[in-house]
Amino acid sequence: MDSNKNFLTMATAPDGALMVAGDIDMAGGPILEQALLERESELLAQGGGDIVVDLTGVDFMDSSGLRSMLATARSAAARQANLELRSVGPQIIRLLEITGTVDQFTIASRRD
Amino acid sequence: MTEPITSAQTSAAPSTIGPVRLELPPLSMMSRVARLTAAGIASMAGFSIEELDDINVMVSEVMVALVEHGAQSTIAVTFEVIDDCFTVRGATDLVDFDLDHPDLALCRTVLEAVSTRHGIEGTSERAEIWASLQQQQP
Repeated sequence: MDSNKNFLTMATAPDGALMVAGDIDMAGGPILEQALLERESELLAQGGGDIVVDLTGVDFMDSSGLRSMLATARSAAARQANLELRSVGPQIIRLLEITGTVDQFTIASRRD
Repeated sequence: MTEPITSAQTSAAPSTIGPVRLELPPLSMMSRVARLTAAGIASMAGFSIEELDDINVMVSEVMVALVEHGAQSTIAVTFEVIDDCFTVRGATDLVDFDLDHPDLALCRTVLEAVSTRHGIEGTSERAEIWASLQQQQP
C-alpha cells in the first residue's frame, strides 16, 4: 500500500487493477495520474491491455481529478485500449454525466 | 440553575449561519480544508447528504478555479447560510485570468449543474467566484 501524505492511497490488486482510496481532487489527481502513467508503462512493456481502476474507496472527485482521469483515458484510447472503472460511486457517476465524459471510460460496475 | 436543553431546542437547524471566513494559502491541499469547513456549516444548517455532496463539489470547483488560475496569493473564502441558502464565495488576486480556458470552462459546467446559482465577478486584478445552493426541504 502506497500513500502520499494521506491524500490518496493506492494498491495493486492480484488482477492488476489499481485500487484507489481517498479524494480525487487537486491534491489527489496528480498522484493518481502519475500512478496511472506508471501502470500504462507496465502494460505497454507487457504488450498492452486495458488500465483497470477500482474506485471502491473513492467518494469524491472534482473537475481537476476528472482531468487527470481523462488524460489517462485518452492516452489509453490512442493505443486502442480502455480505462476501465470499477465500483464507481454515485458522486463520480454524476460528475461524469454533468461533464458529458461518461463515454470516455468503460464503466465496469457501479455502487450505491 | 441552567435550564435543561430539550429536544425541541436542539432539533431545529438554523436557517442563517455565518459568515465564516477563511484565508487559505493557494495550495491544492487547501481545497480539502475548505470542503471540510463547508460540510460542517451545511450539516449544521440541516442540508441533506445529497445536498452536502453538491456543496462539496461547489466548494472544490471554486478552489480549483482560484488556485489554478489565480496569482498564487492568499485565497479568501467565505461561507454563509441565509434563509436556507448556502453560499460559498472565493476571491484572490489575478495575473491572467482567461474565462475561456478549457479547465475553467469545465469548472463552470460543473458549477452550473450542482448549484442553484453561481457567478464569476471581478476586475483584471482580482476575481471573485461564488456559488449558492438553496436547501430543498429545510
